[in-house]
Order: sequence, then C-alpha cells, then structure tokens
Amino acid sequence: MTAGNDDADAGVDSVTLEVIRNGCEAVAEEMNATLVRTGYSPNIKERRDCSTALFDADGEMIAQAETMPVHLGAMPYSVAAAVEAFPPETLSPGDSVLLNDPFRGGAHLPDLTLVTPIHDADGDAVIAFAANRAHHADIGGSTAGSVAADSTEIYQEGLRIPPVKFEAGTGAVAEDGTPVGEVREDVLSMILANVRTPEERRGDLRAQVAANATGRRRFRELAAEHGDDLAPALEAINDYSERRMRAELAELPDGTYEFADALDDDGRGNEDLAVEVTLTVDGDAVTVDFTGTAAQTDGPVNAVLAVTASATYYAVRCVTDPDIPPNHGCYRPIDIVAPEGTIVNPEPPAAVVGGNLETSQRVTDTVLGALAQAAPEAVAAAGQGTMNNVTLGGTDPRDGSPYAFYETQGGGFGGRAGGDGMDGVHVHMSNTLNTPAEVLETAYPLRVERYALRPDSGGAGASRGGLGLRRDIRVRDHTARVSLLAERHESHPYGLAGGGEGTNGAAYLVDEDGEELEKLPAKHTRDLPAGSVVSVRTPGGGGYGDPADRDADAVERDLRLGKLTPEAAREQYGYEATGEEQDEDSEPSAGRPERDD
Amino acid sequence: MTDDHAPATRVGVDVGGTFTDLVTVRDGRIRVDKTPSTPAAPDEGVVAGLRALDAPLSEVGFLGHGTTVATNAVLEGEWADTALLATEGFRDAVEIGRQTRPDIYDFDATKPDPVVPRDRRFEVPERVDERGDVLRELDEAAVRDLAADLRESGVESLAVSLLFSFERPDHERRVREILRAEGVDASVSLSSDVLPEIREYERTLTTAMNAALKPVMDAYLGSLADSVAELGVDAPLRVMGSNGGLMAAAAARERPVDTLLSGPAAGVRGATHVAGRRGVSDLITMDMGGTSCDVSLVRDGDPLVTTDTVVGDYPVSVPTVDIHTVGAGGGSIGYVDTGGALRVGPRSAGAQPGPVCYNRGGTAPTVTDAHLVLGRIDPSGFLSDALARDADAVRDAFAPLAEAVADDPDATEAAARGVLDVANANMRRALRVVSVERGYDPREFALVAFGGAGPLHATALADALDVPEVIVPRAAGVLSALGLLISDVVYDYSTSMVRRLDDVDPAALREAFAGFEAEGRAELRDAGRTADETAFERTLDLRYAGQSFDLSVPVEGDLTSDELAAVAERFHAAHERRYGHASPGEPVELVTVRLRARGLVEPPELAVADRAGDPDDAVTGTRRVGFADGDHDTPVYDRGLLPTDASVDGPAVVEGTESTVVVHPGQRARVDGDANLVVDTGGDDE
Repeated sequence: MTAGNDDADAGVDSVTLEVIRNGCEAVAEEMNATLVRTGYSPNIKERRDCSTALFDADGEMIAQAETMPVHLGAMPYSVAAAVEAFPPETLSPGDSVLLNDPFRGGAHLPDLTLVTPIHDADGDAVIAFAANRAHHADIGGSTAGSVAADSTEIYQEGLRIPPVKFEAGTGAVAEDGTPVGEVREDVLSMILANVRTPEERRGDLRAQVAANATGRRRFRELAAEHGDDLAPALEAINDYSERRMRAELAELPDGTYEFADALDDDGRGNEDLAVEVTLTVDGDAVTVDFTGTAAQTDGPVNAVLAVTASATYYAVRCVTDPDIPPNHGCYRPIDIVAPEGTIVNPEPPAAVVGGNLETSQRVTDTVLGALAQAAPEAVAAAGQGTMNNVTLGGTDPRDGSPYAFYETQGGGFGGRAGGDGMDGVHVHMSNTLNTPAEVLETAYPLRVERYALRPDSGGAGASRGGLGLRRDIRVRDHTARVSLLAERHESHPYGLAGGGEGTNGAAYLVDEDGEELEKLPAKHTRDLPAGSVVSVRTPGGGGYGDPADRDADAVERDLRLGKLTPEAAREQYGYEATGEEQDEDSEPSAGRPERDD
Repeated sequence: MTDDHAPATRVGVDVGGTFTDLVTVRDGRIRVDKTPSTPAAPDEGVVAGLRALDAPLSEVGFLGHGTTVATNAVLEGEWADTALLATEGFRDAVEIGRQTRPDIYDFDATKPDPVVPRDRRFEVPERVDERGDVLRELDEAAVRDLAADLRESGVESLAVSLLFSFERPDHERRVREILRAEGVDASVSLSSDVLPEIREYERTLTTAMNAALKPVMDAYLGSLADSVAELGVDAPLRVMGSNGGLMAAAAARERPVDTLLSGPAAGVRGATHVAGRRGVSDLITMDMGGTSCDVSLVRDGDPLVTTDTVVGDYPVSVPTVDIHTVGAGGGSIGYVDTGGALRVGPRSAGAQPGPVCYNRGGTAPTVTDAHLVLGRIDPSGFLSDALARDADAVRDAFAPLAEAVADDPDATEAAARGVLDVANANMRRALRVVSVERGYDPREFALVAFGGAGPLHATALADALDVPEVIVPRAAGVLSALGLLISDVVYDYSTSMVRRLDDVDPAALREAFAGFEAEGRAELRDAGRTADETAFERTLDLRYAGQSFDLSVPVEGDLTSDELAAVAERFHAAHERRYGHASPGEPVELVTVRLRARGLVEPPELAVADRAGDPDDAVTGTRRVGFADGDHDTPVYDRGLLPTDASVDGPAVVEGTESTVVVHPGQRARVDGDANLVVDTGGDDE
C-alpha cells in the first residue's frame, strides 16, 4: 500500500525531490533531537552546542539540522577524513569513526565528531553517512574547559584524536534490521583517562552514538520506502541547491572585490593579524582567496581549513535566499584558496582552539565585507565579531567540589538595509544559548550582578548597529581562575554604506567595593580574588547607511528607550532634544543603574 | 452549586477564525450549530450563537468556552500598556532573552518585540539568593518613588519579576502592597504567582505577557459574562485553559496567559474523549484547517503537556498541551520554486480569496483545489453548495505546476497529486516530531483526524506511518466545542525549589503541597466543584545534579523520607525510559514542585441512536477519483445515511456535512456505535 505516494516516475521529478528532501531533513532533525535529548552535559542540553547531518555515499552533505553555524560547513571535512582513514569497503555495518584532530577532519579539540556509515539492507555497500559534532566541556590539556587563551601548540590544548574506529559492528542485527555496534572499550578508556570529567564525557559520547544510530535507522527506512528512487534523488537534492545558489550568484555583478580586516592579537603578544580576502565573482561561481592573510601565529587563534571553509560558506549563504536547503550543492559554486601556513590554514602543531571561536568570526566579517561591494543591499554591517568566551573555575566553597563554568556572550548584530541590527545576540558563527543567572548561581559559587544592554554601543547609521551587552559576574567566597578569550577589544566592528563603527568590547576587574581596578586583556588568564567582579562589555554592531539619513523618529525612539544617550544622539546624529521630552532621561528613577562606561 | 450534576443542557462554545461552533447536549442528544465569528468583538458571535440555540437558555447548566482572544492579542501585539519591575541590574533580561537569533542565515530575521518596552521597565534595589536568603533588603523608599512615576505614566497593567522570587516571594508581594498603598491602581501580576519557576527570562516574559493580556481578557470575559447572564443563562462561564482543563472565568481573567492554546487544547480533549469511548487511550490528534495543521499526542488518555510552548515567537512556559503546528492546510498554496521543486505552503490563500474553487478571486492552486481535481471532494457541491466553481480556472491554476511535474501544462491530475504528496510529506514530518522524537512509536497509536481538511489526508498519512487505525469522529469539525463539555476543571500550581533531594525535608514538601491544596480547593470551590469531586496529583520535577532538563515524577504515598527514596527510584526508571540511560549512583536534584488540582466533571451521556439500513442505500453516486495506483471509479457515500456497523471497502469517498473522508484502496472503513468512521489502514498489526 502506498496511498499518498506517487511512484509513477522513474526519474527524479519535482515531487519526489521535495518528498525525499523532506525525509532527509527530518532524519537530520531527529538525530539532533536525539542528541539534545540524550546528551549529558549542559553544553549540549542547555546551550545546544552540537550539530547533526546526513551525507551521501560520496561524502557530500545532503541535509543538516541547523543549530551551530561553525559546525555546518566543516563537517564534510570530518566525513572525508573518516573515509580516508577507513575506506567504505573496510567499514562493517555497526562501525563508527570518531575524531577531533583539527588537522584531520576536526575543527578544535573540544569538538568531537562521530561518523557512522549507513549500509544497504544487505549490509554490502555504504549508501550514506550519519555524522554529528558536539562540543565537549573538557578534553584535557592545560586548562579546565580546554579553551586556554595561552597555548602555543596543539599539544597543550588537549587530547588529539585522529580518525579511530569507535564502535565495531558485531555482525548481529537488531529487531528492526539495523546493525549492532559496540563501543570499543579500549578507545573509550583511553579518552576518559585524558579528560577532567570522564563520566560527563562518557554520557555525551553515548548521546552521540545514539544520535547516529537514529540517523542510520531512519535513513534505512527511507531507503526501503523509496528504493531505486533514493540514490538519484540524493544527487538531485544537491543539484537543486546548487542550481538555486548559482542562479543567485549569477545576479551578482562579475568582478573582483577585496577586503581586509584583522584580529587584535593572538594573546601571545602578536598584534594586528591580517585577514585578507580577494573575492571574484565569475558568472554563477565565486572564488574566495585568502592570500595576504597573516602567517600562522603562536597563540591559539589559528583556524584550520575546515573552519575557514565553514565561515566562508556561511557568509556566501547569507547573501542568497535563506530558503535554499543547506547541503553540499550550496558549496559547489564556491572555491576557496587558503595558503598553507596562515592563520586561515595553519600547519601542525599550531594551537587552534580560538580559530574555531574567534578567527572564524573574522573570516566571516572579511568575506562579507568583500561581498558587500557586490551586493550592498544584502549584507549587514559587521556584527560583534567575537564569541566572548569566559571560563571560570575553582573550588566551590559550599561543598568543596571543583567546578568549571564556560559561557559565550552575545553582542550587537550589524545594521542592514532592512533595519537596525539586533541587540544582544550571538552573531554569525555561533548561536548558543546563555545560562540563566538563576541557574548559574544555583550551580556555581558565582553571582550575576548585572546583565544589560550597553547604550550607545551600536554603530551610528541610517540603520544602527545592535547593542552589545554588559555582564558582571561576582566571585563568591573563594578565589577563582578566570580565562577570557575574546576579540574586538582594540578594533571595532565596521560600518557599511556610510554607517559608523560599533563600539569595541572591554573587560574589567572590579573589586568588592565597586572600584574598577584594571582593564583586562581580551585573551587572558588570572586569579580573581574573593568578592571581586569580572565585568565583560561586548561589542556593538556596525551601522548601515549614513547616520544623517536616520529617521528622527528612530532616534527619538532610541532616546526614549535609553538605548541612546542625549550626548550620543547629538554627536552621532546631530539630534537636539526639543526640551519637552522630559523622560529623555529614561533610566528608571529607582535603582538607576550607572552609565555603562 | 449543582450545575452539571443535574441532567441539564450543556453547551460548549468554541470561537474560531471563521465560525463559532456550538455543541449542545440535552437528554443525551448532541446537536451542532455554527454561526459566523465576529472577530472585532468575539462575544457578539457567541451571544448570537447562544440566542439561536434550539434550547431554553434558562436550562443551560454548564457553559464551556474556548477563546482565541488572548492568542490573537499576542499575534497582533494588541495588548495593554504594561510596565515591568525587575531586580536591579536585570531590567534588560527580558529583552536579551536567550541571546539567540531566530534564523541562522537570514539577516532580516528579527527577535520579537519585548512585551514591555525598555522605557517601561524599571529596577528595584533588592536581592534574594538561590536559597531564598535576603542578600539586600527591598528598598521601599525607591519603590514609593517609582509609584509616583507609574501613577503618572498611565500604564494599564504591571508585572513584577524579581530574581529567585520562587524561593522567596516576599519582596514581590511587598512591592505590590506599596504600589497599592501609593495609589497605583493598575492590575499587578507577580512572577511568584504566574510562574514560580527557575529561569528568569522565561518567568519574566510569561509574567509580562500575563500582565499585558489581563486588561484585554478582563474586558472580554467581563462583557461576555454580562451578556450571557442577560440571556438568562444561569450556569457559570468556564474557559478552556491551555493545559486541557477548564478554569473559572474569574481565574482566566486573572491568568489569561493560561488560555493561549484554549481552542486547540479543547480539540485535543474532545478527540481524547471520542477515542476513549472506543477504548482507545493512545492517540495522535491531527486538526487540519485552512492554513495550518496542529498535531499532538495523547498517552493513556492524557494529552502530553509541555512547559516549552511558543506562541507568536514568544516562549510561554506555563503547562500547555503539547501541540506542534505545521503550515499545511486546505488553503496552502502549491508553487514551483526557482530550483524547480514543487513546494506547498506555508503561504496560504486563507479564507479570502481562498482556493481557486471557492471562486472568490483566488488564482493560486491550493491543497483543496488538488483534492477537487482528483475527485476527492465533490466538484458539484462543497460544504454547502453556495460556493460555485470554475473547473477551467482550476486547471489554469495548476498549469505551471503540471509543466514542472510532467512537462505538460495539461497534466493537471499529476500536478494535483504532487501537491498532495508534498503536503503530506510536510505533515508526516510533524506527526513524527510529536511521536518518534518524543520517544513514541506511531504504530502503537490511533490517528484521530478532524478540522475541515484533516480527514482528507489522515488515511494516506496513517498508511505512510503504519498507523493501524484512523478515527474520524462524527462531530469532527466541532471537536473543540465538544471538548469543552467533557473536560475537568484543572488548576496547576508549582514552585521551584532547587536542592539535592537528599537535603529536602519531607516536612517542607508537605507544607508546599498543603499550601497548593488549600489554594486548589478554594479555586475549585469557586468553580463549582464540591470536595468529593476534587482530586490532587502531586509531582516533583527532578534531574541529576548538574543537568538542565528535568522529568516529572509522581508522588504516590505520604511524603516521608521513604517516599522520597521511592520517588528517586521512579526518577531513575523514568530517565532510563526517556533518555535510554540512568545513573542510580548519581545525586538527584529537586527542581520544581507541582500540584494539579482537578475538579472532576462527569461527562454527559451521549447516546447515539443506532441507525439501521443497507450501506448501499448511502451511495449517492460514483466519481472518477485519483489514487496513488491510478484512477478508480469510486463510490461516494453520504456519511449521514450509513447505518451503524456498516463497512465500506476502499476505494471509497465518504462525504459528511463537515468533512470528507478518503478511503484508499486496500483500506476499510466502518461506522461504530458512536457514528464515528473508523478506517482500518491494513497497517502494522492488522
């Protein structure tokens, strides 16, 4: 019985294409639901720092669950590395391959990727791969949380796992016909012996296994249902996205567009590390050439090619219709040239943890800056350009147990032709959730003192940049170790089309009495005395369009909302309050918070 | 009060976008009426419907109401001018939210407006910690200063949401007292009343939304209650809550945020009841109307409840029937996108201009048009025969699709079939989300289909998912109104109390539950429930220490340390079932204490007279109908004429007054004792 299915056509018609594409996306989403549901650590369950995708037999991505942007364009490298190490004919049903080596299919060490081959019903041939990536809260190395700001070699960053067989097929078959695999205890115990929180790692790895098992089961059901239609449809899905991408790229004026931006520093004293791009639009394809970008550096801001590619793909995707299904076909018209030995394609043993977190953002800013010349209306001004990584660790005085808390903080999105940038969000390569103050204070000996928008931090423009955030965290009754890994403390997110720059970020150490003690470097590890506060101010987004073209109504609204101070209104927009607007000073009368400064 | 104890007339009124449905039960007989909705003033439609009822209104002993007033206010942002008072340092938390953006690749996607604009958000110097200890006393003088500003500002409603108020509500309550004393007369919603649970953003947003809706709901229900009383109806007005239970109108005026899914929850309740009478307690409901399709899952006779619902881009964290919506309805438009794929929805022709076949100016081919092309709905009369059609216009509308699907602009049938296949693929995904993704196997569930378009699709979907049985209730189109007649009065109470289960003093829990029970008893009494019609269900939300998702575990016996140990055991077992693993050695943490107070409502007797006769006499004709395996000359049955226990083999089309059921080849439909049409799909275990 196939009521509701039309299997009349042998070829791939526009209906089969849509039905199977829907089916594949549902599989990727169900894998993601499984990963989040069975995940063990808050990093997966609460922050959702994980991604899932399906690949065809050739390793081309056919569907993904859209969660963590920096993962998405990078996972094909994982599948390729897994297949290179274990060619399909050597993989048995039930096997899976685990890796995190940034130089062999990974991105940075905390991201563990599991690749599971999906065999046909007879167990003879690999017809697809299920893959997922999850950010683990610790993978060993010099610092709790494995996001050290001061590493100079990957060896300090944690345990490096080249593609290894993580599960081995037992030859047995489950009730539903899917192959049974067993986790290799020798491999697992070696991993667990190298990390600080082994039980949590075991739980998260179990979730990764479960997610791919879901993908394998569902994809086999899809294969059974669609039979011979499936393989050509998978190809057609990629062709379809490629066709739509090319149609949109062809709309861009041919030409060569250059843009340069830079990282502030690498945390090891090397400053102003250039990211340069020459972007060529030729018909319906683009070439993105990073020649001119700074040589790889000592500090951990080197972005491996998979990360650079992910950031580049993302940027190009953003100027095309967001409705185009994201898969390998989208990437086909994009050619990337990234010279080896640079911060966008480093050689081992470079330290890379921040490449995934920070350099990826600058790559996005740079490629978008070039694209803005080709498609000025489609590109937003620079967003905050950092993930503001903060790790706090120590011993909880309430029960004597060690803790490590990791979070990333949102900031301003860039202004765009269509309107102001969003205030206080993660931009571009991240989209993880924050930790609620009440959850944080219950779990850790920390107190959130303030979580607020930063007035005046958005770049001026016809559309202003989004506001950055201020988040103050106090250490309670113990000495904690803080590790910051952030960017845009020196440089500013750029404006576009005449818009102004966003305000840069900053971090301060404030003592118990509220005295600002010192400005902290953006990449920095130090002790925080009991009672002191680390106050992080995140960057605002750049503005879009000439500030003189901003509607007076919009300026007045921002004044009324206290997102803009009268001084800044005068300075940025030449706006003088009429005097009637008594509530210009819109700060609350009770408990008036001091100005962000 | 003996409203629904005597065999009085019961009336359920559900207000939809187009029609207001009324279901009346009198002497076991059920009657369905429809009247046009009056969106500008929904109570007028309700009153008109009641007035037109063929029953003396003075005999109405039970009046249940499903309303979209709160929902529409949220979707349209038409709510009261509201102010928010937050702990110093946190007035922006409600605007920052969880710092995510709604779409990864779309630069034009924006966050929803904060319910309360920044200049209406104020800070109160005070601080409570995670144990409920006061770190900083409430600055009462500052609150008094604020009162002066608030009085002048003219805000209509106030929300107060302070950190850790679920641990210690004193500061919020004191703020309200001071404001009252200072002459601030706007209504006040406290987060410790609305949602006393951990996570400041969700709690604050839910509280702010409640405050913003209060004046709207208060005006609506106030005026409705007056009108209903004027009509001579004596029965108390009850409103369906999002949790699938009725609430007194007074409670709905106080907590409108609990009514955001009023109508859909009533529909799920109605479907549950209909299936329950067949002895089916595990079901998936599917309500497909003009623009969207709502699906939900019912397990053991209880709809799954979530505290993670999104209404109009806003997360609403009150307990809500877990309904998943997908943009596929009868009016969903089929089109070929720039990559050559056939797509359906979420764009919809809605009711205006509607599908092409409505002949109201619609030119885009819709799902309904596709059914018409394939002969599944009657080309000569649809719903009533008031809607004329133009077959040529329909064929013209499908021409571009036919060109893409079959390289032939005249291949209208192939295009129509394609539109249905794609629409079904979208809905199938939604059905999987509520079943497979929640850990349930759809093959163990019945599919209950309703809404104008649901029964047209359900039989094909059931087939694709191996669901063995589809139930199309007799009153399918007005199940929501029926649900209003059979639901219990339900109030949920909760408070977060985050601590290791080992450290929890059973006496403290007993005290918390006792407080909830007292509240529940009082509210149920106000809703007309006597003590012996009152039941309480106690649950604890637990998690492994350090985790962030919790599971609700029932408390069964007297709350002693032994019972707490038993609760922990139940938690390990529940964790194993839901997540596939458990860690009995790990410490368990209590997060939230919940009590559900249930005022039992005896469902009315619904006697359906058996209908005798020959099924063949119900055949009204034969049509050429397109199915997956080709066209068939297909008998068309008038559902109203089918006798009880009649059995109809597919291919067949069964037309009712509210909807049409497609019985595919290989399927068999039967009429059960309640006049439901039950389709055996030949799926899984049959």
